[in-house]
Amino acid sequence: MQFPFRLAMRHLMARKARNGLTVLAISIAVFLLCFLIAVVQGMEEGIRSASSHRLVTQSAVSLFVDLPTSYQQKIDTIDGVHLTTKFRWFGAYYQERKNFFAQFAVDHPRFLDMYTKDIEIIEAVGGTTGPAARAAVQKAFSSDRRAAIIGVGLRDGERFGFQLGDTVPLIPSIYPRADGNAWEFVIVGIYRPLKARIPDTTMYIRADYINEAFDSGEALGSRGAGVYYVNTEESVPIDQVAKDIDALFANGPQRTQTITEAAFASFFVSAIGNLPLFLGTIGGAVLFSIFFSVVNTMMISGRQRLQESGILQALGFRPIVSTMLLIWEGLLISLLGGGIGILLALATEGSLIRIFAQNIQNYQISVPLMLLALGISALLGIVAGLAAGIPFLRSSPTDALRSSG
Amino acid sequence: MPDKFITLNNVSKSYTRGGETLKVLDQLQLSIARGDFVALMGPSGSGKTTILNLVGGLDSCDSGSVHVADSEVSAMSRSELPAWRSRHVGFVFQSFNLLPVLTALENVMLPLQLTPLSAAERKKQAAFALDIVGLSDRASHRPTQLSGGQEQRVAIARAIATDPAVIIADEPTGDLDRSSADEVLQILSRLNSELDKTILMVTHDLVAAKKAKRLLELDKGLLVEDQQQEA
Repeated sequence: MQFPFRLAMRHLMARKARNGLTVLAISIAVFLLCFLIAVVQGMEEGIRSASSHRLVTQSAVSLFVDLPTSYQQKIDTIDGVHLTTKFRWFGAYYQERKNFFAQFAVDHPRFLDMYTKDIEIIEAVGGTTGPAARAAVQKAFSSDRRAAIIGVGLRDGERFGFQLGDTVPLIPSIYPRADGNAWEFVIVGIYRPLKARIPDTTMYIRADYINEAFDSGEALGSRGAGVYYVNTEESVPIDQVAKDIDALFANGPQRTQTITEAAFASFFVSAIGNLPLFLGTIGGAVLFSIFFSVVNTMMISGRQRLQESGILQALGFRPIVSTMLLIWEGLLISLLGGGIGILLALATEGSLIRIFAQNIQNYQISVPLMLLALGISALLGIVAGLAAGIPFLRSSPTDALRSSG
Repeated sequence: MPDKFITLNNVSKSYTRGGETLKVLDQLQLSIARGDFVALMGPSGSGKTTILNLVGGLDSCDSGSVHVADSEVSAMSRSELPAWRSRHVGFVFQSFNLLPVLTALENVMLPLQLTPLSAAERKKQAAFALDIVGLSDRASHRPTQLSGGQEQRVAIARAIATDPAVIIADEPTGDLDRSSADEVLQILSRLNSELDKTILMVTHDLVAAKKAKRLLELDKGLLVEDQQQEA
């Protein structure tokens, strides 16, 4: 079939304003779609990348109720438990409240050993890099109560730019110091996450430093652990270990709820409702409305060109050529819009990664996502062109020629 | 009749509009010789345009048969007709029916896309067709940049671009002033006399009809007058 491509291009160029607005609408819809899918995928990736041999023990009452520090020794004795560490939300900020980043107080002798597959130490105090860096950081973490390990995002980001050896004053919002001053931490190591669920903007500090400050009255607060992270032996079923931990504390003083790390990660997602469904619904609604907008544009174009179909048929073209012209035009419009939308998503990726750094660790406009967006755009154009071009197949040349055009 | 190039044998055609059936052609018998220039006249609804549509394969008859050259057009399927039209018939319409988004040259090149010619050959042939109608200097103009007479001449160039044997012209001077109409009629006469095109022209214009070699008059679907005219 001979196809008058030039005619399709000329039609597109002849209605610049209408087609331009349609392209703009599609590009915004595709950008939103990419954004929403990337957010959902980022959340899901965080859950997927959770260790299959790690449990999180929290208070059965609430995540915001601390567990006694005495629980750790008891958990350590349970069959199948390999290593445990406290995790306590510290909640301080740097200079101003807007300069917030996550800090967790952990057990410094165990933390790095528990996270061998999760984080890579890329730089240690004294300038050590490579495989020796981990041991150097472990040593430095143990030798200074104020030692802290930070994610590479806190070093490289424009907001903080912390460097090894820096003393970082953090203003408390949960645990004020008795003297009214800021807490001070010294950076001894920098890590890079190896798993999507771990942010690169977290600071890990020593739990014993905080607890001892509480004990001595240096700071206001009580000794405790927010949660316990529990690495389990691969040989023991993880469900059994979880049951055993909860059974151990069934009679108090604080009952516990032990869940897998993946379940714990998904808890944060579900805590704000079924976010993936919510975001998916928004994305679907946006796409649906844009679909009708494109179909409407193409149908207006189709109605105006019924006479053209008659002329083409009189010249010897088959009716399907007019339909194909509209499909081709719809395809070009939607692919152009889709392409711009994808470029927009790529252009904003870096900024959105920084914005989401604390909440979504794997916001990414991936190649499969771009292909999906492009595929949806193409489908949109084809269906819209087809819907507008079907009347051409039904009309006779004489009827089409008689139409007002 | 020395040569039956176009033949309509007992052709009947009715249209249904708003639940009413209107018989447009009734057992029409008509033969047209190769190289003839026929003007069809008659009141509105007499069946003139219907004859053009049947000969040009744009419409099908209810009964009877339509032959053009060696082809039985009335027996062709809807899918066969476009290819046949592209090879054998060129259309000229009252309202020109050029595509406004294309230049004059591109409009003329359009039917050539259905031929095996290369792009360069198509361009050359379209330029030649525009030259025949005296519009070489308007090749890059859009229809909106042309006068009515010029538009119709481009439409004629488009109709002859594929070198069809038959040209069907439906009131080609209907939308033109006298001067432009005369130019168009002159071109059609030249196409008939110099290139041996068989022309069927519907017209309400007596001056235009006088240019034809043969005048047919229709009324209520019947041929009421058939006369040869002096050149």
